[in-house]
Amino acid sequence: MTLFFNQLINGLHVGFIYALIALGYTMVYGIVKLINFAHGDIIMIGAYTAVITLVSLGWSTPLSLLAAIVVCVVFGITIERVAYKPLRSSPRISSLITAIGVSMLLQNTALLVFGAASRPFPTIFNIEPVRFADLQISFVTLLTIVVSIALMVLLQTFVKTSKAGKAMRAVSEDYNTALLMGINVNNTITLTFAIGCALAGIGAYLYIMAYPAISPTMGSLPGLKAFIAAVLGGIGIIPGAMLGGILLGVAESMTKAYISTQLSDAVVYGILIVVLLFKPAGLLGKATREKV
Amino acid sequence: MNKKTKAILLNLFAVIFLFLTVVILMSTGVLNNYLSNILITVLITIIMTTSLNVTTGLLGQLALGHAGFMAIGGYTSAILTKIVLADLGFSFGLSLPISLIAGGLVAALFGMLIGIPALRLEGDYLAIITLGFGEIIRVVIENMEITGGAAGLTRITRMSRAFSEDRLTSSIVQFAIVFWITVLIIASIFTLGRSRHGRAIISIRENAIAAEATGIPTTRYKLLAFTIAAFFAGIAGGLFAHQTSILDAKAFGFNKSIEYLVMVVLGGMGSITGSIIASFVLVSLPEMLRGLAEYRLVIYSLLLIIMMLFRPSGLLGTAEFSLLTTWEALERFFARIFKREAVTRMPFQPRYDVWEGKPVLETHNLGISFGGLKAAQNINIRLMNNEIVGLIGPNGAGKTTVFNLLTGVYIPTEGDVVLLGKPIQGKITHEIAQNGISRTFQNIRLFRSMSALDNIKVAFHSRMKYSPMSGILRNAQCLSEERGIDIRARELLRVFQMENDADTIAGSLPYGKQRKLEICRALASNPKVLLLDEPAAGMNPSETAELMNTIKLIRDQFSVAILLIEHDMKLVMGICERIYVLNYGQIIAHGKPEEIRSNPEVIAAYLGQEQTAQTEVNQHA
Repeated sequence: MTLFFNQLINGLHVGFIYALIALGYTMVYGIVKLINFAHGDIIMIGAYTAVITLVSLGWSTPLSLLAAIVVCVVFGITIERVAYKPLRSSPRISSLITAIGVSMLLQNTALLVFGAASRPFPTIFNIEPVRFADLQISFVTLLTIVVSIALMVLLQTFVKTSKAGKAMRAVSEDYNTALLMGINVNNTITLTFAIGCALAGIGAYLYIMAYPAISPTMGSLPGLKAFIAAVLGGIGIIPGAMLGGILLGVAESMTKAYISTQLSDAVVYGILIVVLLFKPAGLLGKATREKV
Repeated sequence: MNKKTKAILLNLFAVIFLFLTVVILMSTGVLNNYLSNILITVLITIIMTTSLNVTTGLLGQLALGHAGFMAIGGYTSAILTKIVLADLGFSFGLSLPISLIAGGLVAALFGMLIGIPALRLEGDYLAIITLGFGEIIRVVIENMEITGGAAGLTRITRMSRAFSEDRLTSSIVQFAIVFWITVLIIASIFTLGRSRHGRAIISIRENAIAAEATGIPTTRYKLLAFTIAAFFAGIAGGLFAHQTSILDAKAFGFNKSIEYLVMVVLGGMGSITGSIIASFVLVSLPEMLRGLAEYRLVIYSLLLIIMMLFRPSGLLGTAEFSLLTTWEALERFFARIFKREAVTRMPFQPRYDVWEGKPVLETHNLGISFGGLKAAQNINIRLMNNEIVGLIGPNGAGKTTVFNLLTGVYIPTEGDVVLLGKPIQGKITHEIAQNGISRTFQNIRLFRSMSALDNIKVAFHSRMKYSPMSGILRNAQCLSEERGIDIRARELLRVFQMENDADTIAGSLPYGKQRKLEICRALASNPKVLLLDEPAAGMNPSETAELMNTIKLIRDQFSVAILLIEHDMKLVMGICERIYVLNYGQIIAHGKPEEIRSNPEVIAAYLGQEQTAQTEVNQHA
């Protein structure tokens, strides 16, 4: 039983990180219908910013977190403006390929600048784990869960109630109509990328606290997993990303504990396939049908 | 010697010349081992990209797991030559072809097994699910014993060593094998693309709903395209295994699939020659940039982004370098040599059969409810042969719903539909189309990037018999049927005075002609019942007048009953013999135009008030 609860907690820990990253995928997909393959590499950028500011430059933790967020946002906005915006009216596969290109560019440039060797990340919080009977919950796990929940609530409130949030929903419903209603579509899309990347910056920080190895290709795996989480929950739907992320994290850690470490990826993909076959638009998604 | 024969000889020469040049360069040592090995990689990549182009380009579905099929083919074929066939004492020369084909077949089998569930999804979701399957294939291979697990399969017989003691000779044999297999596969994809099966696949890309409504079994064709692509990828995998002698499942992951997809997109989706050029450039470019090893991938990815920004449709778009025309000429040339002159076989006689005096289509209490909402109920419609019947009603009355019920787009929840005396409810759209109901759509659904003639030919699909294999081989049956439908399709266009537009791309025709072409396509599947959904929408008065003549012409020339949804009262009153009026999903009136015009219930439905309504409808008429 202890193993089960420990795995559940581990799963929640990584699941909430996936969920945070998945939010970036889902928001961008919701608004421009683009699978932003470069999103995982934004995590990598955030991680390098964190380690450089914290270790090499000796900044304080809050300041280096802020730096990671800002750098991620700047990268996100630049990528959107330079690479994706000109392709908005082209076939969707063109922007998909461009996203793949951007992802490759970021990884390989990082490889050139930082080298292939992975860098460690120091332990920031030397705080005793919280204990419940046999259970140990590390401080980082608690922090991750609390921060993630807070950010998701904040985001959901922002999108549902604020003026900018309404504009985002309008653009995602119908780009052209939103334009006619006087919404500044370009700024709205940029804002979406900025929010997604800010969350990725925070996600990166939480990720390297859990897995303290920073390398140019480190973003691919959490990126892919988070993307699957977004699809699982229903891509384009914010609560769906959270649900998908948590499910994926828990499923992954349970498989590792009870079935096989090697097969955990296969199980993750298997869950994705089963869900898509029975709920083609994801767990929270609504299937739409083309009107004849 | 005519022009075409010359052109094909030229192309055949080009391929042979290319082959001989490489062989000579290899034997003189200009192309050293390193370079000729890259050349083999280029050829294998070409097989991968041209086959991926079948799903992505022709079928228009994004697949992200193509490398998985390559892995299946590679491992199957390697295990066969290394373990099974070697134990049986087969020589490598014999076991290689067997293992390649086996690799292709096993990959095709997996393609089919994966395709059956996956192809229910579309677009991004299909992309994701194929990604998932591709990764599962990789993980499973990594965890199996026979595949060598995570360490991989090593010491697979190398083609470049196995054929002769002399390494050079063996390398040349390897090149010859890979080269001609590649040529064969490319030619097959070309000819398949031009057959009725290829047209069916492309029509799904253009407009899946219209394809289904014209009688194309879309699910089966999606599966066919997917399976064929997997088959060729499997063969490529087999060749790869025997080129490198080492298989490592990690090499066939998501990134590999993406790499192939990138090449297809850069070459131009739907362009086979584009894929060939892109494969060549993108495989050899990194090798050329090897001096700049560190910057190689940076430059590669920058090129990719820049290419997409400035030429998003890829190098060649959907255009084709003209290998195809030469292929056709080639077979005509050979037909002449072997005196195998194919006869023109008319695939069918236009049906002017008798169904006089009996209803061709009847519905009994037909209805459907969505949740609690009854969108249509108690619909009783009866169409006699050669009748023009109108179906009118205010917006949202359920007119298009009735069409969707008749064509199987919606499955009725109550009542039944009887076509030519046989019940058809529960049948799928394409089966209903083949049984004799065709339709046009409220918003035109043509296969926009196909020519007008090809649009018609898609509808002739179910009237031809030849198999995908004879399409690939372009044998006598295929040629005679194709020639037959070419004549029939042109005849049909001539009836509508559109013979000069035969080769025009459908999407670039003027609006009125697009409407006409859609009607023409609906007639091509030789229906007994033609459903026209607002054919006059968006037309000006003179175009509407022309449409009226067209509809009358159809009635006179084809033995078909026409059911017409229309808001243009002048048109409806002018040509319909009977009219059904629909409101709130129910038929509220039925009769001759003059009866309908003065029916108080109809007037109330349209205008709400009786007094003003009377004059209003009269003015319309």
